[in-house]
Amino acid sequence: MSRNNIKILPGALVCEESKLRGDITIGSGTIVHPSATIIAEAGPIIIGECCLIEEQVKIIHRLPFDQQNKENTTPVLIIGSHNVFEVDCTVESPKIGNNNVFESKCYVGNKVTVSNGCIIGAGCRVTEEQILKENIIIFGSKCQMREGLDRPGLQTLQMETLSKMIPNYHHIKKPNKKV
Amino acid sequence: MELRDINYNKSDYVETASGNKVCRQTVLCGSQNIVLQGKVIVQSEAIIRGDLANVKTGRFCIISKEAVLRPPYKKFSKGVAFFPLSMGDHVYVGERSVVNAAIVGNYVYIGKNCVIGRRCTLKDCCVIEDNTILAPETVVPPFARYGGSPGTQIGELPECQADLMVDFTKSYYQHFQPTKLI
Amino acid sequence: MSYITGPDVVKYACSCGLLKPISHLYFCRYCFQLRCSFCVCHEVDSNFCGKCSENIPSSEARVKKNRCGNCYVCPSCQQELSTRIASKGPVNPEDSKSTPKKMYYLSCQFCRWSSRDVGIPDQSTVTGGWPERENVHSNRLQELVDMYKAIVLAQKQQKDKDKKKQRGKFLSYTDRTGVTAAALRKRIGLPAEFTHPILKNKPKEPEPASAKTEVDEVPEQLLTEPINLMEITTVEQRLLQPEAQPVTVDKLFPVHKQLSIKRSLRCRHCEHNVSKPEYNPSSVKFKIQLFAYYHIPEIRIVTVEPLRAGKQCELIVKFTNPTQHQTTIAFLKLNMDEEDASLDSEVAEVIQDLDQTLSLQEKQQMSLTSLPLSTSQPSSLISVPSRQPSLTIEPRKISQEVNCDIEVPTSSFILPPRDDAAEYDDSGDTHNIQDDPKLVKWRKSNKAFIKLNVTPMSDLALNSEVVCGFIMQHIYTNTVASKEPQKYNHKVKVFLRLGQLVGSE
Repeated sequence: MSRNNIKILPGALVCEESKLRGDITIGSGTIVHPSATIIAEAGPIIIGECCLIEEQVKIIHRLPFDQQNKENTTPVLIIGSHNVFEVDCTVESPKIGNNNVFESKCYVGNKVTVSNGCIIGAGCRVTEEQILKENIIIFGSKCQMREGLDRPGLQTLQMETLSKMIPNYHHIKKPNKKV
Repeated sequence: MELRDINYNKSDYVETASGNKVCRQTVLCGSQNIVLQGKVIVQSEAIIRGDLANVKTGRFCIISKEAVLRPPYKKFSKGVAFFPLSMGDHVYVGERSVVNAAIVGNYVYIGKNCVIGRRCTLKDCCVIEDNTILAPETVVPPFARYGGSPGTQIGELPECQADLMVDFTKSYYQHFQPTKLI
Repeated sequence: MSYITGPDVVKYACSCGLLKPISHLYFCRYCFQLRCSFCVCHEVDSNFCGKCSENIPSSEARVKKNRCGNCYVCPSCQQELSTRIASKGPVNPEDSKSTPKKMYYLSCQFCRWSSRDVGIPDQSTVTGGWPERENVHSNRLQELVDMYKAIVLAQKQQKDKDKKKQRGKFLSYTDRTGVTAAALRKRIGLPAEFTHPILKNKPKEPEPASAKTEVDEVPEQLLTEPINLMEITTVEQRLLQPEAQPVTVDKLFPVHKQLSIKRSLRCRHCEHNVSKPEYNPSSVKFKIQLFAYYHIPEIRIVTVEPLRAGKQCELIVKFTNPTQHQTTIAFLKLNMDEEDASLDSEVAEVIQDLDQTLSLQEKQQMSLTSLPLSTSQPSSLISVPSRQPSLTIEPRKISQEVNCDIEVPTSSFILPPRDDAAEYDDSGDTHNIQDDPKLVKWRKSNKAFIKLNVTPMSDLALNSEVVCGFIMQHIYTNTVASKEPQKYNHKVKVFLRLGQLVGSE
């Protein structure tokens, strides 16, 4: 895992203290807080636009054991746009759509495909092989599910504030790719 | 049970004039906005986000390993503002807990691996048990013991809880000693 | 630490025989007895809402069925709902001056349920005026309540009338002696209560409920269609609204938040308060605080040597004097068998006593005389107190088994008073206390570390919990009600759970 290939598109804010390993592309408008961890172990990770990745978040691209032998294709983990990863969540999902919220301390296993507009509640552990339908909300100690009326609201306002504040306090990794 | 000595490596910690003991392996963002009132212990890999808003702790607070203190945000029609996080005296925050609260009162015990949601108010003398998830904007009344996910009241505390917490945090501070070199 | 989260390893025996950690005990200064939450009177001082921290008068609380009028909990996950603003566009888009109208809705931050999910229209004010759900059976329930109220009223009127009749033109003999007709009836063995033959204004009885013979058939789609678990409510969600018990999630409506209470505790023997909180809901201070933690020396286990069956091992405990007065602590042997025997006979006597009195004055004011009355204020008791009558509970047997012998030290030791300034005093301790070096290992201000020798019984199985017990006798200095502080010897039974028995070598 020595080969680090980090591509940061213009407009993205990636703090120096974050840990990035492997082949990672970070879309414009995405904010990565200090001490977030992104590990591209099985293949490249492409993160879309305007994602919010808070501290202690772990995004790991790791294949399930039964798929590890197929070496002919290198799977790419594509994370859509406007996803929010809150403090200390662990996400190993192989595919993530848009507008999802991963709340604090949730765990999403590597057999769970997340579509769009889903909310994985704080502290919920989702590991069984499944595809989460759109606008699914998982909450509580028993991982109760319900369907939301709407997608969760966008965090653009918060990201605007953050993009003004964070450069005042942190060293930022320079964008190294042109659009 | 009486507390046992908790030893730390002297070179890993900075001790300030007011008696704060802060580990060097912590992430203190925006340290000019962080006020530790004295005799506060911040253990390794704890994160305090002073860059978002002011963070103030009282005296005799213990922030355990990998805990996160993060000022909460609030949405307005014209934007988002981060609110200061204020913490009273004699507060214990357990390992890997995330505190997003607006106000944490005095004599509060937060267990391990908890999530205190955005803009929660923890009143004086309450206990949040290990692995509790408190929903955002929850108000925890005094002398309540909260637990579960979502966090609900699961019990009451004895009336002398304040003195128990004072005794606990003070003796924790006393027992938190550097390893003696022989 | 163990008081806050961990298991309670040191327990004190309350005067009622229950074992509690010291933090859960009270000490009545008037009876010199330990009390616990089980053996005191609980009185509701005030009702308050935990969310908005507002005191609510008890009359209002009763009307609102002990729920807050302004705060709601989520019907889906029982968390508190918060009010959200949704700005609606101006009423007529042409008029540029009209400001967007603010509308409010309720939303749960945990499961993202909102009042829009079930089609409750947004409100224009912050506090809502949220539609209240009518119970479908409310008419029937009201009818029943009205009937019972009418019965109560009728009986009251009847009683008044009877009284008036008695106090007629002449002074009745029974008036003077206090022997009422009812008491007389009782004495001659007639049934105490008899219905008045002419109950004139008999309350109207509602229609009795009738049993239904025809029941709807089971809808077929239950068997044919797959169920969508996301549309069906959970048992918790149904029980949150017992009057409606919604089956599907589209019938979940916000529920008013239940109130919390502040309560004061009263000793049952002497009717003095042992705990009385301040009125302010968010205050953690007390007007009266007779907690054992402030009066009885605290014992903590410091270290225990590995426990082996039949082998003596060393136990170090820490004693702390919480009071402002010096105390002396001595140890006495705890003899469970003797204790039990004497207790048994005592209990037996009391039961006999009670039986006699009960047979004598059946049903008459719950045998007040048979109870050990405090001599200080018997008048208030006899004049039918409005508050809960003090029923004393006879002490029960202590259920804790002791399986470890303790070598009871013969010498006693002194604990100096608590001194808050000592914490800042670095000059070291200058106590000139002659200690038995075999007993006292080390001392600092009001604390002392004591060495005890314990021997787990030789027939104990491996990994079984080892418990030892002793009686702590300490001098309690009473400063209440008298000019000069008085000293008492107070004895407390203490039980220590030392941990598990390990292998013999």
